[in-house]
Amino acid sequence: MPNSSSIGTMTVFDIVVIGSGPAGTTTARYAAEKGLSVLMVDKKQELGAPIQCSGAVSFNALDNAGVFPSPEFIQEAIYGFAIYNGQGQKKVIDYRKIKPGEYGSEAGAKPLGFVVDRRRFDRYLATQAERAGVTIWLKTEALGYRVLDDGSCEVALKKFNDTITVKAKVVVGADGVQSQVGKWAGIKTHIKLSELASCLQFVVDGVQTEGLLEIVTGHEWAPGGYAWVFPKGHGYAEIGLGVTRTMCTDNAQVYLDKFLKQSFFKERFKNCRILEIQGGGVPLAAPLKIQHADNLILVGDAARHVNSITGGGIHTALSSGKIAGNFLAALLLSGEPCTKENLKGYHNNWLNAMGNNMWKLYEVKRKIFDTADIAQRDEQLYATMSNYFSVDSEYKKI
Amino acid sequence: MMSTKDPVVFEVEWNACIKCGACVAVCPQEAGFTSSFDTIAVNKACDIACMFCQTVCPVNAITHQTLFSTEAAVF
Repeated sequence: MPNSSSIGTMTVFDIVVIGSGPAGTTTARYAAEKGLSVLMVDKKQELGAPIQCSGAVSFNALDNAGVFPSPEFIQEAIYGFAIYNGQGQKKVIDYRKIKPGEYGSEAGAKPLGFVVDRRRFDRYLATQAERAGVTIWLKTEALGYRVLDDGSCEVALKKFNDTITVKAKVVVGADGVQSQVGKWAGIKTHIKLSELASCLQFVVDGVQTEGLLEIVTGHEWAPGGYAWVFPKGHGYAEIGLGVTRTMCTDNAQVYLDKFLKQSFFKERFKNCRILEIQGGGVPLAAPLKIQHADNLILVGDAARHVNSITGGGIHTALSSGKIAGNFLAALLLSGEPCTKENLKGYHNNWLNAMGNNMWKLYEVKRKIFDTADIAQRDEQLYATMSNYFSVDSEYKKI
Repeated sequence: MMSTKDPVVFEVEWNACIKCGACVAVCPQEAGFTSSFDTIAVNKACDIACMFCQTVCPVNAITHQTLFSTEAAVF
């Protein structure tokens, strides 16, 4: 198992990963499995909290990243989608009916995806990373990094009350939508107000679901986004929405209240009881054009690796983490320095594997939300969402 | 970033804040204009006053007071 070494009093790692979400843990795990010494830090005291995510992820996404779909983190299995327009007309895409035997809850069949508990999911991923040899420090805030003359860099950390400097060959910014790591290297990571979905969801009791992710489109309910009802296991559900603030007059809270009380689901929601409140900012933005600098790369939400049609970010985080971990392992084991030029290979690998498709999705999304006529825009979003989740969608792997 | 607006000081209503980080994500300031609590900083004046943070907040937890430019120095 690879361990850190010391020069004088300075601790040395090959890689320091900042942020312990799906992107960070996956990058760390793949790099450590190849024999690198990896430190992963997070300023939080608990993994996966506070929850800023609905937790929907496909079976394939887990499978491709070597994550076993464990009951430890699965809240409910998903078998398809129901896409609604603003008036309540729906298109159901139930893979239990489209491909019986392949998808389903019976023996020999599999789910299409899951809603996961992000606290347990992130902890599971961190455990996998830890077992691969990654050192994890929680309650450790990353304060900054500095490129050194010898081609490596040092990272300033605050671990509980102690200020510590560690030396590394490369820093991985996996610090989420609020990313500060990119800013250290002069990368403009802030997201335009017009491209950040402001999301709010309630975990509720008393709302029936049927193993489908239900997506409600329409400017009336969620301008510049959509509303959702997701199964949450044990009879619970998530009711939430994301709005683009430049396209609406009120905040997400007002829209969620309206969705609960006035939408075509109002009878269905009548007796729901709110158990938890969660929220997040979801970048429905173009991926960053530059995701690397000298001794530094960005992964996951920090690089805006988010599907801008669905707002989904777990799959993209796991995939980019795997690409980043494998790339860094190969680069470091080759003995080449982590210059900006050499790290461009990570960006290229990412573009080839998924980035080019993410750019396409972003263009589709932009075209829809740039449509001035609301009725036309609603129609386009409903059609696009319905196509996106259909069995022959060209984007199924994102 | 230059702005002709007067600087503002933000206030976060901690009871309303859901720690979603959207305010930090849209902040165009250089690194550092954030608090340890994943929200926008409240202990110093913001001189660009773009108000993106206040606008994007899903639960209206952020409010602000306007300072006149000359007052900003005290923060």
